[in-house]
Amino acid sequence: MSDLVQKNRVAPNNQRGPAARRADFDDLHTEPMHIQMGPSHPAMHGTVKIELDLEGEEVIDADVQIGYLHRGFEKECETGFLYQNIPYTDRLNYSSPVLNNVGYCLAVEKLFGITTPPRCQFIRVIGGELSRMADHMLALGASAMELAAFTPMLYLLEARELLLDQIDAICGARVTTNFTRIGGTLDLPEGFAAFAVERLDRALRLTADADKLLTDNPIFRERMQGTGRMAGKDLLAWGVTGPVLRAGGVPYDVRRATPYLIYGDLDFDIPIGEHGDNFDRYLVRMEEIRQSCRIVKQCLERLPDGPVNSDDRRVKWPPKRKVFGQMEELIDQFKLVLEGGYPPAGEVYHAVEGANGEVGFYIVSDGSGRAWKMRCRSPSFSNMSPLKHMLIGGQLADVVPTFGMMNMIGGECDR
Amino acid sequence: MAIGVVTVKRPPERWSSSQPYFAILKGLGVSIRHFLHNLLLFARGQQDFTVHFPEQRLVQPPAMRGMPVLVQMDNGKERCVACGMCEWACPTNCISIFPAETNDEVERYPEVFDIDMSRCMFCGFCEEACPEEAIVMSRQIEIASYSRRGSLWHKQDLLVPVAELKTRLDHLRRQYEH
Amino acid sequence: MSTEAPPSDAEKPQLSPLMVKVNARLAPLILEHREFRGDDRIHVARENILAVAGVLRDDPELAFDLLLDVTAIDYYGQPDDFELRREVWDRDHVTMRRLPRRRNLMALPEKGPHPRFAVVYHLISTSHLHRLRIKCRVPEDDPRIASLTPVWPGANWLERETWDLYGIRFEGHPDLRRIYLYDEFEGHPLRKDYGKLDEQPIQAYVGPGAKEPRRPE
Ligand code: SF4
Ligand code: SF4
Repeated sequence: MSDLVQKNRVAPNNQRGPAARRADFDDLHTEPMHIQMGPSHPAMHGTVKIELDLEGEEVIDADVQIGYLHRGFEKECETGFLYQNIPYTDRLNYSSPVLNNVGYCLAVEKLFGITTPPRCQFIRVIGGELSRMADHMLALGASAMELAAFTPMLYLLEARELLLDQIDAICGARVTTNFTRIGGTLDLPEGFAAFAVERLDRALRLTADADKLLTDNPIFRERMQGTGRMAGKDLLAWGVTGPVLRAGGVPYDVRRATPYLIYGDLDFDIPIGEHGDNFDRYLVRMEEIRQSCRIVKQCLERLPDGPVNSDDRRVKWPPKRKVFGQMEELIDQFKLVLEGGYPPAGEVYHAVEGANGEVGFYIVSDGSGRAWKMRCRSPSFSNMSPLKHMLIGGQLADVVPTFGMMNMIGGECDR
Repeated sequence: MAIGVVTVKRPPERWSSSQPYFAILKGLGVSIRHFLHNLLLFARGQQDFTVHFPEQRLVQPPAMRGMPVLVQMDNGKERCVACGMCEWACPTNCISIFPAETNDEVERYPEVFDIDMSRCMFCGFCEEACPEEAIVMSRQIEIASYSRRGSLWHKQDLLVPVAELKTRLDHLRRQYEH
Repeated sequence: MSTEAPPSDAEKPQLSPLMVKVNARLAPLILEHREFRGDDRIHVARENILAVAGVLRDDPELAFDLLLDVTAIDYYGQPDDFELRREVWDRDHVTMRRLPRRRNLMALPEKGPHPRFAVVYHLISTSHLHRLRIKCRVPEDDPRIASLTPVWPGANWLERETWDLYGIRFEGHPDLRRIYLYDEFEGHPLRKDYGKLDEQPIQAYVGPGAKEPRRPE
């Protein structure tokens, strides 16, 4: 098989620029075919348009155009109170919303200088890792489906449902989670551990089935191996993070580089690849699902008791029972709702490891209840910028797996 | 550091993995196992994935956030005192309240309480901000309407007797205890 | 009541190890250094940004190989430290008056004397695992700064985004066009004087195929 792969994949004119390729056509009295892929193409699962120039089946030039889902997240956040922006962060990466919630709240807490109690940190890690698994499952399932493997998609979506059930039990919604609060989070329901472990096991079994169908399948491997290849050094220079960078052999993961929450105490592995092609990206994601499952199980075992909210009265809404009965708490509640809590003036950047890479929030505060400037560093956006260079020199059919493995999420890329 | 790095391994390229027939057989094996499993569950009436909405409905957890509704007390009045906190906390500005006064025991009440359901995103901040437990997230999720005007819900449509909201109120007390 | 004694030299905050290294190499180019909640940031003049970026990437002790983010801030002429003028305006005070559509009104301070914009770069080194933020103030009447695409190619899209949303020109950028918005969009929406509810003129429909693709040849 590998001979076949080599023959098909490595285009002979790979190294020559588009201008030189175009010059060939002047002799032939023909011109490269110009096609527009997207924005409503079934394989473009974020809304994105790729303009391709083709010579036969080979891509000689590509232009990736984004912006179809731009909703002005940053402008919106500058006009809302800090606590009001939490639901908006759900809509960034809508296939793993909890990770965005956690990232945003950690950034705001860093601005305030608050540390949350241990139980809160454990719950945030549990929610975040469940979300990461769900995101990878969707990414793998969708790209497998685009390569005409429909059954693994069904199994992975079933597994994803089992994870979303757990998130649903904690926060009451599957996608629009609104999971965290500034300085706290929602508490786990009773009997969550047993419920979660049972569903995690079922989800892992389903993932293993999908793994069995895909990993050893010659058609799948032939389309994934050697396509969309980019070396780790180039990926770094282009600002790519997340599974795509790790597949290129760079072990950069925010959880390991600058541990936040309780990740430093946990026991898990960061998978990296060797070749930097689509198949490695697929394998890294598969392995991350298993590692995340390990993390969730460890957290469930070691979950401490105690409060889930910090005591800091600058951000913490008072307990309901006291709001009903006591004047001071009522006034606290009114002040916090109406003015949103006053952070110190200053600027912070806090990054967490999202499903696609580093999700960072950069908040500039002028000391009022609203952020003067809010910026989300979204991994999809940076990951998409070198896509052009991964596509050029490949075949038209390679556009689909490469794009699928970049896992562009429109909401996060365009914000 | 307990966080290690592992290199993912590609499955070796065996002769068998280059033969599509083996892959097809293997795939058939997996899907037939799933098919038989589902068939067995179906025969026992325990199928756990397909839900025939609306005849069957999922059992939702108590944390579920449906559309926000107003709590109606036993005397038929709303519990809301029109303080306007939910209006302020709402990120999408979809609540509008006009307060009024009476000579009852609770002097203030909302004369108008409208929620624009086409803008509401079920975030639950109104419920969290309310100092009276007067607005809660119900389990109602069917809010489609035939016209745009229909998605503006008025006070009379939003009132739900307190007995029907017991699960949610209990959940709220537990959730926001600390 | 006793007043706190001013901190003596010994009590002054220590420079982080990263800043010691940065200072050793770049001291003449750094205008000022600030530290807040463990984040180091340096301010440099916009003329020097390319030189600073080159050193930060190539020096083996610093080795900032990953450019995480490029963005801008519209300070509206305010100084970097809002604390200094905290009492001068309070945006919440204005919005507390229950204006219609209050959330959409931004009460802006008087325009200050400082350069209006700041371009912000976030860097991380994947080998030494330290983070740094660079800030360059850019005036309103001449919003230009050198592009960092020669140093980190990943700056390409990030700079296009900053041009799109803030209208800051990056000189030497290979392909500076709008990235989110359409070409006919008037103004730059993340500037503070662009209201949240401002509307754009409606573009005439030109029919299919009438417009050339946006891509420069
Ligand atoms: S649920 Fe959220 S969006 Fe809906 S009315 Fe309440 S606060 Fe507003
Ligand atoms: S916060 Fe509660 S009491 Fe106040 S207006 Fe809203 S529903 Fe009524």
